[in-house]
Amino acid sequence: MIESVKNPMPVNIVVAHGLEAKALVKMLELERHHVSSKFVEYSNSNKLHLLVSGIGKEAITAGVTYLSEQQASDSGEIRAWLNIGIAGHRDASLGSAWLGNKITDHSAGTNAYPPQLIEGVEVGSVVTVDEPENSYPLDAAYEMEASAFYAEATKYSTAEMVQVFKVISDNLKNPISEIDIRSVPGLIAAQAPQLLILIERMSAIASQHNFNQRLPSYFFEICSKIHLTVNQKLQLRRLCQRYKALGLEKELGCVAGPKASDARKLIQQLTERIDRIREA
Amino acid sequence: MFSTIYIEEEVLELERVRNLLDRFAQVPQVICGRYGEVFNRKSQNFRLQKMAPALILAKKYGNKVLAAPSGYGYNESKGYYFSHMLNCVYDCRYCFLQGMYSSANYVLFVNYEDFEEAIAEKIGENNGGGVYYSGYDCDSLALEPVSNFCSHFLSVFKRYPDAELEIRTKSTQVRSLLDTEVVPNCVIAMSFTTQEAAGQWEHKVPSIKKRLEALHKLQLAGWKVAIRFEPLILGAEGLAPYEALFEQIFSKLDAQRLHSVSSGLFRMPVDFHKRIVKLYPDEELFARPTQTTQGMIALKSTEENTHLMAIEELLLNYVSSEQYYRCA
Ligand code: SF4
Repeated sequence: MIESVKNPMPVNIVVAHGLEAKALVKMLELERHHVSSKFVEYSNSNKLHLLVSGIGKEAITAGVTYLSEQQASDSGEIRAWLNIGIAGHRDASLGSAWLGNKITDHSAGTNAYPPQLIEGVEVGSVVTVDEPENSYPLDAAYEMEASAFYAEATKYSTAEMVQVFKVISDNLKNPISEIDIRSVPGLIAAQAPQLLILIERMSAIASQHNFNQRLPSYFFEICSKIHLTVNQKLQLRRLCQRYKALGLEKELGCVAGPKASDARKLIQQLTERIDRIREA
Repeated sequence: MFSTIYIEEEVLELERVRNLLDRFAQVPQVICGRYGEVFNRKSQNFRLQKMAPALILAKKYGNKVLAAPSGYGYNESKGYYFSHMLNCVYDCRYCFLQGMYSSANYVLFVNYEDFEEAIAEKIGENNGGGVYYSGYDCDSLALEPVSNFCSHFLSVFKRYPDAELEIRTKSTQVRSLLDTEVVPNCVIAMSFTTQEAAGQWEHKVPSIKKRLEALHKLQLAGWKVAIRFEPLILGAEGLAPYEALFEQIFSKLDAQRLHSVSSGLFRMPVDFHKRIVKLYPDEELFARPTQTTQGMIALKSTEENTHLMAIEELLLNYVSSEQYYRCA
């Protein structure tokens, strides 16, 4: 269903349960990872990644931490993070769904507000509880992972790129004790139009952000060849960005080719040259 | 217009808030505790939020009227600023707000009456006088149709004829001013940069032509208007863009009737600059060589003073030296 999208999709989707993953695997044409991991994972060649974390706040925190560690790199690129899952609401109809614009952690009594950049998707409140909720006191989707997911994922990405999407699977008329869990993939599959908008839009924003932050390849060449202290790496990074912003990316190699061996001297030469060119 | 409206629970029942919520009933509305739960959180990204800013309706506690930085104003009177709003609907790449906040959402403090009281108190402390700048942390007029800022604060300053209100703006939203009786102690100060700078850095800002038309209407209606040439970002093109800009402005406005004209170089606190560079590593302006003096960053130029003086010389062909001041 998502085959039209050939561009990179730097998006991590995290679900609590394998049944929530089932519809997404099909919808997004994902393949199972066979690397040994404590989590079940899927991905596709466009960098879209799906992880099944297990139920509850602790499990999802561990899943997010694990995935971010696997993906850590020097490039400064970010990924979008999306938690998709089922939830209960007192009177919303089964299968209705929304993006959380307010996430309340019931036991901690705290609120988080994922910034809303994406149009065309329903929005509403989400309450994360430690035990399944049967009475749904507030006008919100009750579930068990969102607050922990948001708190953890915002450590690795910007808040705008961390979102939760909840599909209603139970309500007062259809209590949680009577849910036929085999209906879960169908409920999520029915949300394909909203989910595809959401994933494609989050992906486009993250990709644009990464493009804006892209470093010239020279930076990586030098890093792989010369030992740089943390501070020197930061200085080199900024110099490479400045050359690029001033349209002088090609000049980088002229100042000192990747054969340069002294980091301090290299940084000094790059600084002097750019200041000279720009001031002239 | 707004992606979401967040409302502090405390202001939910204010009439000003209820009217706004009714007007924007189609925009998702979220109740929050204090605006700091939503605004300026550490993992937020100003550049991304600029794509779809939200409106936050809040109550301002604490200091509502603050001393203006030295050298900000045009005369010897004590200067103060107040911000009924944080952030701006425009997106000028050189704007310091990008470095000041991690959030691009607009915070509108709706307790105007408390601001009014604080202003009155400050005016009292200054024997009825003082200069009061609005538009330091925002553009005062740009959101006028939503905030009704003018209609409220102009009536406050009408009561204190010796206190002066300067409304700093790049907006053409002057309808409410034109519909109001002139307030002689209110100055509308419009900022301009050259055509080239505006094209390159002033995103979403009305064109120079449109801003001039708005100012012209105000001047004809009897309002005091002022011009702020800020920030001056000197480029390789030399003086020609300034010659063109001055010609355009002073052929439209009556220079002699201008309240004041000022210029100010591009300057910003080092910390703000650092944060902006992280947001816009790809921006040419921030890749230029810089120099730091007393915590403020400026573009490095050996010619800066010569250029500034040449621009001032050009300017003084149109306005008197009494009308002109250089902003520190
Ligand atoms: S108009 Fe002023 S406040 Fe608004 S973005 Fe531009 S410089 Fe900043």
